[in-house]
Amino acid sequence: MDAAGERRQGAAAATFLAPATLVVMVMLMAPLLLLLRFSLNRYDRTELMIETVTGANYLRFFSDPFYIGVMRTTLAVAALSTLLCLLLGLPLAYRLARMQSRWKTACMLGIVLPLFIGSTVRMVGWMILFAHGGVIDAVARWFNGRGMEVMYTSFAVIAGIVSINLPFVVLTIQSTIETIDTRLEEAAGSLGAPPARMFWRIVWPLALPGTATAGILCFILAMNAYATPYLLGGPRFQMMAPLLYWEFSTNNNWPFASALALLLMTTTLLMTACANWIIPARYRA
Amino acid sequence: MSECSLSRRALLAGAAATPLLGGTARAEDEQMVIATWGGDYANLLRANVDEPLVAPLHIKVVQDLGDEDPRVAKMYAQRRLPRGADDVVCVQAVRAYELEASGLLEKLDATKVPNMAHVVPNLRTDFYAPHIYSPQVIIYNPDKIKEPPKTFSDLLDPKYKGRVGVGDVNYFYIMMAAALATSGDVTKVDTADAKALAMKLNANGLRLYPSTDSIGAGIKSGEIDVGIMWMARVVMWQNAGIPVKAAFQTEGSVLYMSGMVVPKNAPNKPAAYKYLNAMLEAPAQRAFAEKMGYLPTVDNSPLSGKISDQLAMPQPAPKLFMPDYSIVGKLQTDTSEWWKKNMQRS
Repeated sequence: MDAAGERRQGAAAATFLAPATLVVMVMLMAPLLLLLRFSLNRYDRTELMIETVTGANYLRFFSDPFYIGVMRTTLAVAALSTLLCLLLGLPLAYRLARMQSRWKTACMLGIVLPLFIGSTVRMVGWMILFAHGGVIDAVARWFNGRGMEVMYTSFAVIAGIVSINLPFVVLTIQSTIETIDTRLEEAAGSLGAPPARMFWRIVWPLALPGTATAGILCFILAMNAYATPYLLGGPRFQMMAPLLYWEFSTNNNWPFASALALLLMTTTLLMTACANWIIPARYRA
Repeated sequence: MSECSLSRRALLAGAAATPLLGGTARAEDEQMVIATWGGDYANLLRANVDEPLVAPLHIKVVQDLGDEDPRVAKMYAQRRLPRGADDVVCVQAVRAYELEASGLLEKLDATKVPNMAHVVPNLRTDFYAPHIYSPQVIIYNPDKIKEPPKTFSDLLDPKYKGRVGVGDVNYFYIMMAAALATSGDVTKVDTADAKALAMKLNANGLRLYPSTDSIGAGIKSGEIDVGIMWMARVVMWQNAGIPVKAAFQTEGSVLYMSGMVVPKNAPNKPAAYKYLNAMLEAPAQRAFAEKMGYLPTVDNSPLSGKISDQLAMPQPAPKLFMPDYSIVGKLQTDTSEWWKKNMQRS
């Protein structure tokens, strides 16, 4: 194709892509800009918001150990959930990707099926399981006579988040491993590499981009979790998303809630960028 | 026969016009929107107010269901619009005072709501139509507690460690109960004594539940034996077979009240007034008492039968306090902040 033809093709592609890109940009950027503007306003009990340009809401966040503590809890829960999802999801994804059996479709369906049920409904299921007098408590009572309090604990929150995010992690990693040529593993095996070494030297580096994507996806979802910490963690377990909703709705403090939302988003983006940065360049997607 | 025959074109035109005839008839019914809680509350409004009392006035009621917080947030967001989305908004009394202080509410014209004359005098305001109310009481499981606590301070007894539960969403009413116990004044929620009492309760293993219903579930499962809740909920839970009874604190009980307001920019204020009047009709008030256990806010709706026994006040009559919301309304934001950082965090 000559240069003029390429230009024509480029122009046509741009014409077709422009409306969708514009819509996405507007839908994404407009609310963010509005949030940014709100976050610079001042809260007033009767006026709701007084238009001004002040960094007081951000200063309040950074100068109050309470809010820093909530952000720290959010980061810790997100990191731990991501780690657990990767530890549990990687072997599952590898086994699924290499499965030749006719049960593969059924297994895939088993992974995907929970996604058909809303996360809040699934959390209600966990609540029944974790509740006082629930299955776990009853079994523990049978063993130790005292029962076991799981509801409204950090364990309950992390278990809930892992249950929601695990299918995303498994499906993302499994699709990456599917693209790795099995002959590479066979070659490693024929050269005497034991399975663990073969996985570490062949599969892991090649699956790293997909694994990183899965980890980032899981981390973002965990950072922004609302229903799980609210329902399974209870009022005493504070994470950023329920906190900013409290500020927005109960206190009607839209400027501070907007600042919290932007801080949560910025922290998530920074952590995501860091995760991408620590992956060696040659393994990046 | 030929005179009666219709051409295909005429038949199609007639068929096309038929829905318009119905539409014209329906168009006589005006429409109004009430923003309210969902569940039993909305169903009871529909069955006892919307359909039997408002529909005959040729007003079609559309329910906008949701939680109170987003409802209030929407009112703030729409305050500059000439026409808001809702004609009537259901809110707790404390939120109504907050909205009034923000200048968002229509001053109610009592001549357009004749039933306002029947509203119990100490519940009456000129911007809020009280719908239901209930005293906040100590609740307990009679199977586990033989001698119920008599005061807020009794809940600090070590024998109740880890056995007391309250709703996190009701934090302001808990603080008003603490204020009443420490100073005899429900508005003193921001005093050091009230906060110290609440913190002592917290230190005694207080369980905070995310919703009101989860307190009932806590009593039922045996997780807690004691709590603080509205009397109305006790009636509902008793009717659902949960072993629970109410005890009035000797220092007195705070009255919980919810009702309806009309936003200044309500699009259909005449219909809103008619709705408020219907809501205050005696049969509608009785239905809410019988199904939800709330006391009628009007003096012409006497109760009888089982609900009358369930809602009967003990003798000697307990002290009941209607908070001065014009004072406590201003304290809500700071109290919420304090609760979040101290009661929830510890």
